[in-house]
Amino acid sequence: MRPPAGDGKPLGPENGLTTDVPGGVPEGQTSVMTRAVSRLLLMPTIATAAAILVKGYVEPGDGFSAGVVAALGILMQYLAFGREQAERMLPLRGLGYMAFFGLLLTLVVAFRGPVVGQTLMTQWPLPGDAVIHVGTLEVITAVAFDVGIFLLVLGYGTGVISLIARVVGRAERRSKEENHRDPDEAYGEDMG
Amino acid sequence: MILISLAIGVTWVFGTVLAMLDGRRTYVGLLALGAMGTSLVSGVLLGVRVLQEGTVEFVAGGWPLGLGIALRADVLGVTFAVLSCGVVFVSLLYEVILGIRSRTFPALVLFLNTGLVGIFLTGDMFNFYVFFEIAMTAAYVLTAYREHDYQVRAAFIFAIVNLLGSVIFVIAVAALYHVTGTLDMALAAERVTEAGINPTIVIAVAIFVAFGLKLGLFPFHFWLPAVYVGSHASVAAILSGALANIGSYGLLRFGGYILPEQLAFGAPVLLVLGSASIVYGAHQAVARRSPVEVMAYSAIGQAGYILIAIAIAGPIGFAAGVLYAVVNSLNKTLVFLATGLRGWMVGAAFAIAAFSIAGVPPAVGFLGKLALFRAALSLDSLAGTVTLVALIFLGGALSFVYSFQIYQSVYLKPSPEEGKPSPLAARLLVVVLAALLVGLGLYPEPLLYVSERAGALVAGGP
Repeated sequence: MRPPAGDGKPLGPENGLTTDVPGGVPEGQTSVMTRAVSRLLLMPTIATAAAILVKGYVEPGDGFSAGVVAALGILMQYLAFGREQAERMLPLRGLGYMAFFGLLLTLVVAFRGPVVGQTLMTQWPLPGDAVIHVGTLEVITAVAFDVGIFLLVLGYGTGVISLIARVVGRAERRSKEENHRDPDEAYGEDMG
Repeated sequence: MILISLAIGVTWVFGTVLAMLDGRRTYVGLLALGAMGTSLVSGVLLGVRVLQEGTVEFVAGGWPLGLGIALRADVLGVTFAVLSCGVVFVSLLYEVILGIRSRTFPALVLFLNTGLVGIFLTGDMFNFYVFFEIAMTAAYVLTAYREHDYQVRAAFIFAIVNLLGSVIFVIAVAALYHVTGTLDMALAAERVTEAGINPTIVIAVAIFVAFGLKLGLFPFHFWLPAVYVGSHASVAAILSGALANIGSYGLLRFGGYILPEQLAFGAPVLLVLGSASIVYGAHQAVARRSPVEVMAYSAIGQAGYILIAIAIAGPIGFAAGVLYAVVNSLNKTLVFLATGLRGWMVGAAFAIAAFSIAGVPPAVGFLGKLALFRAALSLDSLAGTVTLVALIFLGGALSFVYSFQIYQSVYLKPSPEEGKPSPLAARLLVVVLAALLVGLGLYPEPLLYVSERAGALVAGGP
């Protein structure tokens, strides 16, 4: 299901729609239509993810599905633009680390209970207690838990794909160029 | 409650933090050791409390039982938790002494421990599966901790085979939920008897296949030698000393505790497969020359003994199964750690482990064989008893042969010793472990007591 080839029109570098970027997607793999649509869809996807995350308490949805949706939105950028260009356009570097911070946040919320003498994963405030409001949003630990799950899923989804894209890209470059690049250069700081 | 949370949680939190740091640095290794130590100590304290006061359990979030997710530490679970935690701790200590060469190693070991302790201390079948996946995922990456690319092939096979096992297991859990309407192990054990043998025997077979794959029993063993041979000593020790416990625990918990009727129904098959495992593993092991390979095949045979004990069932059979699983796990840890070292004292430690595997007193392996003999004598049919006793004796004799072949060829043969001996601390660690094996053999009461309690728990059911 490869998108139709581009019509070869010169594209403006100012809108991130060029194709002649080293390490970017080779010309003809994605059309300007694909790139433009995926670019346009990014913000609605993120907004949808946020809605799923927040609405999860009254309607179907939670941190996990929100994370999947947001990750898909970002992965669409990787598909349309290639890794390097996508990471230049958007602050995606280090997103993989979000997985760890998300997991930590989740664990802290989950294990808060035993520390203060309640059972595991007890919610704060307890049912019936006064809830602190920020606008119409209720501040409860369940939200923090779900935000943690959201970050975990989002960070994992994008981090792993970015890592694979980097390894594949490096192998491709090496086979293409056969120059004096150190093959082990980028190992070690691959996270994110 | 705080002890259960701590045993599972501390390595989880530290694993997450250490995953972002470079595991090759000493302080990361030490932090990981500290977390593992905390987990181990909490496990031991929890074990003492469980032995004195009975099962400790609570439901997460304060939900009523049946709605929320139960965490339950009973004698069986806590025994396996402490055992696995101890093995992982020793293996990590060993690797820290020798110098960690991978940046992810400490974090992975901590995640693995989280999964293992979680498996043994959960009272919920789906949670069992989730922790099972945490442990296995960490193990997939750990098996790829090796030098050569071609060895990664073995890690790949390991991952594929075990993923298949996981899928089969989760299908079985779903089926069990369908039949009983609960995921809580104790409730499921109560309700499954009403469902009758017809739908549940299929579930039991699926569960058996899933754990048989994990344990490396005879028809499912094909992945095992290749994976062990390429692994680092510490990883092989973790795989066969800690991770294989999932298989024995799962068979005891799901076979003995939740599905006892189905276990009794399938006992003849299990006895045949167990015997096949023993004979096959021992014969293959005798034919091999490299220590790791011999021990990998020996692991297949040892898994057969555990299966036979479980198939015999009843308090005596299950107690023998628990005891044999504990002893086997300790033996294998020592053997694999010793094969990674050089220098004097290592040979002695290896010899003790070999004695123990062969079941020679005073090493602790003798206890395992003795418990099996007792279990075989408790069988009703005379022919069965005679066959089993003969089989156990044959297996023991063969393991004696292969253990000493290896000892002879590796440690007694005057070889032009090239490399310098391993660090003293690592050798001391192995010697301490060997002393523990002999000590437990000389003073077996605690081990016998724990395994009897655990066996009674499994046999008594809910």
